[in-house]
This record gives sequence, structure tokens and C-alpha cells, in this order.
Amino acid sequence: MSSATTTSIERNGRSAVVRLQGDLIIPTARAFYLQLQSLARRRDVRTVVIDFSRAGRVDSSGVAAVSLVGRMLARHGKTLDLTELGGHHRAAFDMLPRTIEEPAAAIPPTVLEQVGDGVLGTWNGARALTAMIADTLRQGGLVLTRRKRLPAGSVGSQIVEMGFDAVFIVGLLSFLLGITMGFQGVTQLQQFGAGVFVADMISLSMVRELGPLITAIILTGRTGAAIAAELGTMKVRSEIDALATMGINPNRFLILPRLLAITIAGPALTLLSMFIGMLGGMLVASLALDMPVAAYWQRVAERLTIGDFAHGLLKSLVFAWIIAAAGSHLGMRANGDPSSVGQATTRTVVVSIFCIILVDAVFATVVTIARHS
Amino acid sequence: MTEVLLECRDLVCGYDKPILEDVNLTIGHGEIVALLGGSGCGKSTLLRTITGLLPPLSGQVVLFGQSLYDLPQEGRNELLRRTGTAFQQDALFGSMSIGDNIALPLHELTKLPEPVIREMVRMKLGLVGLAGMEERAPTSLSGGQRKRAALARATILDPHLVFCDEPSAGLDPIVAASIDETLLQFRSALGISLVIVTHELESIRTIADRGVMFGQGKICASGTIDELVASTDHHVYDFFHRVAGTTQATTGQANGVGLHAR
Repeated sequence: MSSATTTSIERNGRSAVVRLQGDLIIPTARAFYLQLQSLARRRDVRTVVIDFSRAGRVDSSGVAAVSLVGRMLARHGKTLDLTELGGHHRAAFDMLPRTIEEPAAAIPPTVLEQVGDGVLGTWNGARALTAMIADTLRQGGLVLTRRKRLPAGSVGSQIVEMGFDAVFIVGLLSFLLGITMGFQGVTQLQQFGAGVFVADMISLSMVRELGPLITAIILTGRTGAAIAAELGTMKVRSEIDALATMGINPNRFLILPRLLAITIAGPALTLLSMFIGMLGGMLVASLALDMPVAAYWQRVAERLTIGDFAHGLLKSLVFAWIIAAAGSHLGMRANGDPSSVGQATTRTVVVSIFCIILVDAVFATVVTIARHS
Repeated sequence: MTEVLLECRDLVCGYDKPILEDVNLTIGHGEIVALLGGSGCGKSTLLRTITGLLPPLSGQVVLFGQSLYDLPQEGRNELLRRTGTAFQQDALFGSMSIGDNIALPLHELTKLPEPVIREMVRMKLGLVGLAGMEERAPTSLSGGQRKRAALARATILDPHLVFCDEPSAGLDPIVAASIDETLLQFRSALGISLVIVTHELESIRTIADRGVMFGQGKICASGTIDELVASTDHHVYDFFHRVAGTTQATTGQANGVGLHAR
């Protein structure tokens, strides 16, 4: 047996005899197919005969090539004959399906269908989200009234994972943010001889705006994505179905502990971020302005009110819930294949950050209008 | 003596500590060999070692005359391309249609024209009883159908040696029998040799030429299926007796192999 096919073609009136020599296998099938295809296209050929007497091994690529050429000839009213088939050749050709079932062609959806699909998808998503939130709150009520229990230790371990493990990164970024703002503030304010107001600027912006925002962004990337990936993988591996068939509510078992944990971890990290940010500002003020540390903190204490902290912490609470809801909802909607988990994670981050900034803008607008009216 | 495709020489396989020791095994051209044994006996670990996924702790896996783990990565891939593996979990790519899943090795590794590739996919799908399902997504198929699609993908390159981990587990008896027929047809048409890990006694009796039985961390018996059934070794006897007993109980057939085992 040689590994290369050599074919010789003999013309005999209106029929062509193709003598195969060697193996008709994956490496040789391409040349064979192209040769036969051009032969089948010729107008003066009515019958193609393939002589297998000297053919070696024929694998499914060879069978496929012959069968394709046979169908092509048949479409033009021509015939294909296979002669001198050996036993193993026959066995190979027996692999061909008896009937030709063309795959059902997928009809591409029209624009209207796509729009309708999108609307229905959004509607279903919104309904599922509402149902999930409602059920989680109901389960929360049951837990509060001691009629149901949370899985032992779940909230604690989640707080450690979401909050404690993020202390370093939140602290570092807030500190750098405080330093950056400090430098910006000092250079601008000094031009008016108002350098001392840098303490006001940093404390107000860290407490009311940047503390909640930077914490929420870090929480989205760390915790929101983790929730979506974890729940999505559990969904793909049927673990959530397993919980449901055991009669255990997945919302209480999986989502409620995460929601509670982020409710505590979000504001706690935000508070940390506010103070460390102000600490960064203090460093800049004392280095660049020679402002005494006590004077810095005194200005901060005079400027900030409890209302400012309440504003910042309330926002951080809303941000935390946005992150938990987006991560849980999108994670739970992963649908069976691994790429859906990736999509759920990506969408969680995008949707969370979008909603957080949107809500932030709404907060700022409402508060400003309320103050001036 | 027929051509030897796979040989295990004093193979010790396992993760950190050995799970199977002293594995000496040869698979010849056109043979169908069943790897048998209870759960956790190391069959799947051995299969991972043979298929290049888990380096052995000692010993050699000789595939087509070359020692698999002594070759560089490219040479190893070259050898593995002449084998096909159907995993216990179907391992189909969820982001591709069934047709694209099966055509993947052809697209990646051969230069065949697209119509020939499509025809080969059509043929293989017909063989495993999934004709016309090219455009379906793997998630829309049942477990048994996915398993058959995975078998089609494992055999699309017409490999010389195919490894199947539980090819008919979890399938109804009719479909399981049709998979067995398909495997036999692959052998007669393409000269494919098969290494099958299975618990299905019907299937073992139908298709396997030889069985290799694992127990207590080594090969505890091997031989033709009839020899194994007649064996008095208590591991082997327990295995066939227990499996046959269940088969009889579930199908209600009085001619279960278990009745003839002794």
C-alpha cells in the first residue's frame, strides 16, 4: 500500500474510467475530489467509472468525496459506477446513510423578529429580576422572623471575602486618590491664596462623592464579577437545580447571604475609603503647604456634617445593592454553556458601573435641587 | 502477530501517589478491548495516561511504536492525532453547533475542501443516528445525543485507535445497542481499534474481543470475555455476577449472562 493516490483516467467514448492506485485517505482525498469534480463537470462525459481494483485503504474522507461526486453527476443526469470493490471498500461505503437528510436550513430572523426578541428578552429579564428581588426580600423576612435560617457561617465568610480581603486595595487606591486630589487642589487654590481650603475640598469630595464611587467600582470588579461567575458556574453545573430539587430556596441559600454581606461590607469599605482619602490629602497639605496636622483635621471637622456622611453612606448602600442584584441576576441567567458564564460576568461589570454612575448623577441632581428650592 | 498499536510497559499511573501499578497491556490492530472494574479502580486514570493527559509516575506508554511521554510536545500531538477520544462527559464546545464541533478537527488539521468536510460530518452524524442535526446547539440535545455527537467527533479523522470512556452509559438499551453496532462498523469499515471503559455487560459481550479487569491497584485478570466470565477469581466473579444480576433485574430477561457465569 502506498500512501499517495495516483489516478489514471482512461476515456472510452462518453465514459471515463478512473483507476485508483494507493490509499484514498484524508491526506489524498483533496486532490482526488478536485480531479473528479472537474471530470464530472465535462459535458462529453456521461458516465464515470471508478475502478477500485488497485486501491488501498479508503477512509471516510474518500467515501465522502466519491459520494459528493456521485450526487453531482446524478443532478446532471449522469451516472457513477464503482467497480472491483474489495470487502473493506464495501464496508467503508456501507457507512453512507441510506437516505439523504439535508440539515434543516436555519431561517435567519427578520429585523422585526429581532426587535421583538430583544423586547421580550428585556421584559423577561426585568420580570425575573423583580421576582428574584421580591423572593430574596421575602426570604430575608423569614430569616428575620426566625422561621428560616441562613446557611451556617455563610454571611461571615462572605463578609471576609468581600470586605476584609478588599481592605488593602480600597485603602491604597483611596490614599492615592487623596494624594492626587491634594496636589490638584493645592496648585489651584494657592493661586488665590486659598491653599488652606484644600482640607474642605478633599474632605467634602471624598465623603460625598469619591469614597462611595471608588469603593463601588472596586466592589464591582472584585465582588460583582465573582458573584456572577460563581452563580453562573453553579447554574451550568446544575448545582442550582440540585438545590431546588432538594426543596432549598436558592435565593435564600445563595443570594441572601451575599446581599447581607455586601450590605455590611460596602458601607464599611466606603467609610474606610473616606478617611484614608482624607489622610492622603493631609499628607499633601502638610508637605506642600506646611499645614499642621491638627489644623487640617480641625478644618475637616468644621466643614463636614453628619449629613455629608449620611449622604455618602446611603449612596454606598445603594451601590452595594446594585452590584449584588446585577451579579446575582445575571449569574442566575447563565444558560448551560461556558461562554454564557463569561458573558454574565462581563455584563455584570458593565451594567453595575453604568447603574452606579447613573444613580450617582440622580443623587447629585436631586440633592442640589432640594437644597436650592 | 498483528501490528501492535498501543503498549503499556510496567506503567504506574496516578496523581501524587500511584493508583494503578504494574500495568502491562497491548492493543493490536483491529482489536476491541474493554477496561473493566468497579468505580474508583483507576480505569479513567489509566485512560488519561494513555491519552497523553496525565504523565505516568513510571513506565512507558508506547503508541504506534513510539514512547508517548519521551517525545516533545509536537511529536506527541502528531501521535495523538492518530487516536480519538470520546470523553465520559461529552466535552462538546457549547459555543459551536454540532456540525462545527464535529468538523473542528477537519478544519484545524486537514486541507480538505469544505463540501467534503460537510459530507464527512453528514456521514458520521448518520452513523451515530443524529442525521440532520448539524445546526443544533449542544445544549439543545439530550445527554445520549450529546454522547453520540462526541463519538462522531472522536472518529471524524478516522483514527487508528479510539478511546471511549463509558460510550453507552446512561443510554437506553436500543440506542446503546446501536452505538455498539456503530463501533463494530467503524472497525470493519476503517480498521479502527477500540479501547472501551464500560460497565455495560451486554455491550462487553457484544463487541469486546478481550477484557482487562482492574482491582486492588493492578490488573487482576485479563483474557477473552468468556475466559473472564468463567474465572473463579472473586473480583472478576463479583463484577460479572453483580452486573449481570442488575441487568437481569432491570430488563427482566432470563438469558442474562449472569445465569451462565457459573
